[in-house]
Amino acid sequence: MIYSVQHVSTVTYAAPVTQAQFNLRLAPWPWRGQELHRHTLKITPLPDVRKDQIGPYCVNTTHVGFTSAIDSLEVVSEFTVAIEPSPVPDDGPSAAQVRAEALEVNSLSALSPAPYLFASRIAGIDSDIGEWANGHLLSDAGIVASAASLMRAINGQFTYREGVTSSSTPPEQAFASREGVCQDFAHVMIMALRSHGIPAAYVSGYLRTLPPPGKPKLVGADAMHAWVNVWCGLDLGWIGFDPTNDCLARDDHILIGMGRDYADVSPIDGTFIGDAPQTMVSSVDVTQAS
Amino acid sequence: MTGQGVAPDELPQVTDQLAPEPRANPLTRYAPPDDAADIFASSARVTRKAWQSYAAGLVNQSHGDLAALQPYLDSHVEDLGLAFRLTGDEQERSWPLNPMPIFIGAKEWDTIAEGLIQRADLLERLIADMYGPQQLVRDGHLPAAVVSGSGEFARRLVGAPPSSGHFLNVYAVDLARGPSGEWRVLADRVRFPVGIGYVLENRQVIGRATGGLLNSVGVRSQVGFFDAFREGIAANCRRADPRLALLTPGRFAQSYPEQAHLARHLGFSLVEGRDLTVREDKLFMRTIAGLKQIDGLWRWVSTRDLDPLSFDARSQIGVPNLIAAAANGLVLANWPGVGVVESRAMPAFLPRLARTLLGETLKLPNAATWWCGGETEREQVLANFDSLVISSAFRRPVTGLPDGRTRAGASLDPAERAELERGIAQRPIDYCAQEIVSLSTTPVLSEGRFEPRGFTLRAFLARDGNGDWEVLQGGFARVSQRGDLHTSLMGLGDISTDLCIVEPRPSAVPEAMLPPAKLEIRRDQGLLSSQAADNLFWLGRYGERAHQTVRIVRALCEQVATAGSALSANTTLIRLSNLLRSLGAVPKKSIGWEPSRLAGEALGGNEQPGSVRALAEREQRIAQLLRDRLTHDSWRAIQRSMLTYVPGDIDSMMIACDRLIERHAALSWLLADGMSRGSAWRFLDLGMRLERGAMLLQAVQALVPGSASAADLSALLDLIDGQMLYRSRYLTMPYIAPVFDMVLLDPVQPRGLAYQLVRIEDHLSAIPPLQADGMLEPPLRLARQIRVGLEGLDANVLDGATLDTLRSDLAELSELIGKRYFLHDDDALGKAPVRTLA
Repeated sequence: MIYSVQHVSTVTYAAPVTQAQFNLRLAPWPWRGQELHRHTLKITPLPDVRKDQIGPYCVNTTHVGFTSAIDSLEVVSEFTVAIEPSPVPDDGPSAAQVRAEALEVNSLSALSPAPYLFASRIAGIDSDIGEWANGHLLSDAGIVASAASLMRAINGQFTYREGVTSSSTPPEQAFASREGVCQDFAHVMIMALRSHGIPAAYVSGYLRTLPPPGKPKLVGADAMHAWVNVWCGLDLGWIGFDPTNDCLARDDHILIGMGRDYADVSPIDGTFIGDAPQTMVSSVDVTQAS
Repeated sequence: MTGQGVAPDELPQVTDQLAPEPRANPLTRYAPPDDAADIFASSARVTRKAWQSYAAGLVNQSHGDLAALQPYLDSHVEDLGLAFRLTGDEQERSWPLNPMPIFIGAKEWDTIAEGLIQRADLLERLIADMYGPQQLVRDGHLPAAVVSGSGEFARRLVGAPPSSGHFLNVYAVDLARGPSGEWRVLADRVRFPVGIGYVLENRQVIGRATGGLLNSVGVRSQVGFFDAFREGIAANCRRADPRLALLTPGRFAQSYPEQAHLARHLGFSLVEGRDLTVREDKLFMRTIAGLKQIDGLWRWVSTRDLDPLSFDARSQIGVPNLIAAAANGLVLANWPGVGVVESRAMPAFLPRLARTLLGETLKLPNAATWWCGGETEREQVLANFDSLVISSAFRRPVTGLPDGRTRAGASLDPAERAELERGIAQRPIDYCAQEIVSLSTTPVLSEGRFEPRGFTLRAFLARDGNGDWEVLQGGFARVSQRGDLHTSLMGLGDISTDLCIVEPRPSAVPEAMLPPAKLEIRRDQGLLSSQAADNLFWLGRYGERAHQTVRIVRALCEQVATAGSALSANTTLIRLSNLLRSLGAVPKKSIGWEPSRLAGEALGGNEQPGSVRALAEREQRIAQLLRDRLTHDSWRAIQRSMLTYVPGDIDSMMIACDRLIERHAALSWLLADGMSRGSAWRFLDLGMRLERGAMLLQAVQALVPGSASAADLSALLDLIDGQMLYRSRYLTMPYIAPVFDMVLLDPVQPRGLAYQLVRIEDHLSAIPPLQADGMLEPPLRLARQIRVGLEGLDANVLDGATLDTLRSDLAELSELIGKRYFLHDDDALGKAPVRTLA
């Protein structure tokens, strides 16, 4: 399956701001089953400084800086990617087994489990969420089945509602009110897994916009999407679970980056000097090329 | 010694403080429960002599009343402005200091020091591996989760080591002395060596309060250490004569007073994130003379907050792109991310890592530690639960330890224990356990007697100019009233104690005789950041506004005293109260109030922004930001609390006004006399002059709205202390034109308007210019215009419109000064805050 993606983000300021600098995390990270054909990042106005950096998690960061004042920023990210559907995994080892195996990996690389075991800035260890997940994660079933059952619980018990949360709402609040958007669902699932010692990571990316014939349109397709990568033991490694759509990320999901939570992979953040109010709008278009 | 209140015939002959027959040596009666576990009782002969001599000296000095020593020492603590905050404190607390230091013999200390240096080397190599090849993790010597579990591990910095080659420049270690005299490491502090500034100050207080007592005992000096530390940072910088700064999170930080002391002592500029900016991967400080490059930064801001573009995007106290500057040669001490070795789990691996990295065993063991992430270790911990303390491995709140605090296994009730065991089963990686370390005791002076108290010690190391570790000859001990010494600095009820290293044969060369180092003589004033200039300017303004308001209140009280308090018959009273109203010193709705009520409100009102109390509080708050720039004496004068008076009682308020005016005079003198005539002094004086001029114009307009009585004009003359001069000049009652001439136009009248403008112009022409084109800077141009304009005025035809123009000119001048000096001119939007988009 080949997809063409166009993602346009526009930031506007009520008055010019100086010393504006941004981190853009929009270039797809190389991932198993994903072949990137080309990627362009068009930035208007033209920045005075532009540096591409790798990491620190599975994420490409483009740092841009402006020496003169700007009153708006437009970032157009375009790429084409071929996706090879990943095979349906077997159930894998039990959660307890995964917990033990995670400690056997002698590596700190961005793909190893260790960086994704602990509380991060947004996705902490929360005993309420951990207890809520007991029924799914204390079982002897394989981790893939357990994580899928947790995913199904979030999908079934939580209401997808835009506007009730923002990118800065703590996931604990989404958990308490049982509503939110993909970002909240992903964070809650990550926190539940980590509370049980299972490595879990936040994935940002895109969904195919148009469903295959006879299938409903996926939720979250007109913006950047978020789902969860669960480390399923030494053999299976990372497997994507999408709690918003209650499905595995196999061929409808295009991965841009993986980190501990949203903060590690947020598509755009930065600093500037000034008091001007800012607004950001973005639009995503994913078309199927073949 | 003065102020002890002893009758002359009781004065002892203090010729030798270590006289052979001191009053009963209080340490002979000191009886700790276990001699071996007391650092004095178990001390060797030479050291014991130091303890005893010192204690005897204390007795002699306090004329036999040891209880009198504490308040005396406390007053020295206060004089030095030694203070700290507990989390959540609004006000700073003064620093509790025990007059009896701890003495350790040179030989024992040198052995400890060897162990400390070995540990510093070990941590340096360990950190270098974690941020470099990560071979220790790959080879299984260190579990990956022990690294990634620490919130201090900065993945972004992996593979980008410091260009200086040093991750650590300064290092603090907490030590405990066990019951049989063996030393053990309790904690490593590589992020911030909290307490290092207090060591300096403790020694200063003890030195001041006890005269030559320490010298006579033969104690190693600490002076060289701080020079070595400075050189250690400077040596890593690329420029030969580097500019160094201390980055503070701001005055609300727990150890802000300490940071200010250190900056002053070391000659570092004390800066906050907003004073700094990164341009083309170099770090600059915003100063009144433009951007100045900084070569080395001692950071007291946590890694996470250091750079919003590299770490937490929400940070408001960091410097965007600081890490890029660090990659380009900026020296950061200590390097960000080093805190990864501070986790409680790390000591579990250090004995093994010492063998792997150094091929040595640890000379100073740490308290035995088990990380529950290992299966065998976890089983061991659960089996020995009652004889261990259990803690959160990475200091986060975890199940069973909700506040992240350490608990003794034996102290848990069954429910708590079950909860903790459940947590350990679910996330074993979050827990570790330590053997229980019991502490040795030391004699602490308490109500005139020495009592045994448990203590821990903090030692400090710094790299010198050659990159070698130097150990501070001394340190900082904490004794606890409650036996709980787990907080990072001081807990409630903790007392600090100086640590002295006793040299058996005091070195032959007294310190003062050391050959002076070859230093280039220089007279520059150091950098004045735009921020500090801004604060000094406003310190001057608020101080003067408070002072002038007091003078108006005093004039009001005097009117009441001489003419009675009937408002309707007395235009002067009405005009003075209008003036207070227009200054915001009394509420708008105060029309018709009794003068005594007005005066009370203007002095001590809590609601009004212009009351003397409110202005003094603002002055104090600004002064806190300037700790590193004010002398101790002026600092103290500013921090004194408001005077008391009886509300409603004119006499007591008049006395309070007199005192406040005296105090202000003393402070002005301290500032004027004590500050070197650099830019800092100029900005302070500039603020004061500008405020005085503006207040004067306001007073003139309120008291002489067209016509005026002799009483109105007398009140005006009082505001500038001009009564006497007027009488000697004119030998008649006050008339408008001659009073106006004195108050506004006469350039030799130090409290008059014209003189203020002369001073303002002088300051503005002395401050370094930014413009290279030789043109006048806008503030100077305007100041000169105003001054020349005043020269051309005639007091006989001075009208309201002219006064209005003068007032608005002064307001514009203040704005221009702000624009030109307090903001950097390429920040077109002014001093707008750094905003984040996240």
